[in-house]
Amino acid sequence: MKRCLITRPEHDDTTHFISKWMKEHMDSANGVEFIDLHRERANRKEVTGRLTKKNPQLVLLNGHGSDTTVAGHKDEPLIVAGENDDLLSEKIIHALSCKSAKILGRKSVKTGALAYIGYDDDFIFFYTPTMISRPTTDNTAHLFLDPATKPVSALLKGQTVSEAYQKSQQAYKDQISRLLSSKATKEETAMLRYLWWDMKNQVALGDLQASF
Amino acid sequence: MSAREDDIKRLVIARLETLPPDMKVSVGASGEFTPNELVDHVKRGDPLGKKFIQIEMEFLRAMKEGLIS
Repeated sequence: MKRCLITRPEHDDTTHFISKWMKEHMDSANGVEFIDLHRERANRKEVTGRLTKKNPQLVLLNGHGSDTTVAGHKDEPLIVAGENDDLLSEKIIHALSCKSAKILGRKSVKTGALAYIGYDDDFIFFYTPTMISRPTTDNTAHLFLDPATKPVSALLKGQTVSEAYQKSQQAYKDQISRLLSSKATKEETAMLRYLWWDMKNQVALGDLQASF
Repeated sequence: MSAREDDIKRLVIARLETLPPDMKVSVGASGEFTPNELVDHVKRGDPLGKKFIQIEMEFLRAMKEGLIS
């Protein structure tokens, strides 16, 4: 069976929304064994142990990040460029995390990761705080998190990194086109530039023909 | 600050002020902010405010170059 490690910290609104969106993708995936490092389990010791012992082929990193790091629960650094990025060797990585593709993504691919989909700069999304108990039904968050999580569903279905990235880019373009049309509200139009920002900063690195 | 930067700042603030005040924006590790809080950052010209000005400027440049349609 295919094996996928996923980190889902949940210590603030950002990580809570992303965690719940990722859970939807996990629930709809078939034939995949998930190593679900949720909340406190999204820590460096667990990540190191599971990546080493279970050898998942796909790694979904969700959490705050920087150029060099993807963090876990309460912002504990999980994977750091030049420290332990070799843990990602021979794996496909999707990081829904700010900036991590810029150095960590490129470094991990050089070190041996098959491919890395992530963001070169801040990942920005709008949401409705009153929807915190139902994040996946928040229409505002949907504008951003639907295109951003498209690579996850594509990779889990066995599509190539290239296909996963293109699906996401197309979903961003479709949302942007809609927000440019007369159908969009002025609130949605004001969010357009941030959706474009996310699209522009999303990158796919490494072997784009790799698949899970 | 140049007149152009001042215009951009006013434009960013005007855009942010069209958003419902109870909405929030996640800016990764920088945190989560209401539109009004973002307006304050833009007015102050601190790193977060500068980031939103940078986004607006790059967006306008891309629009002008026909990269967004």
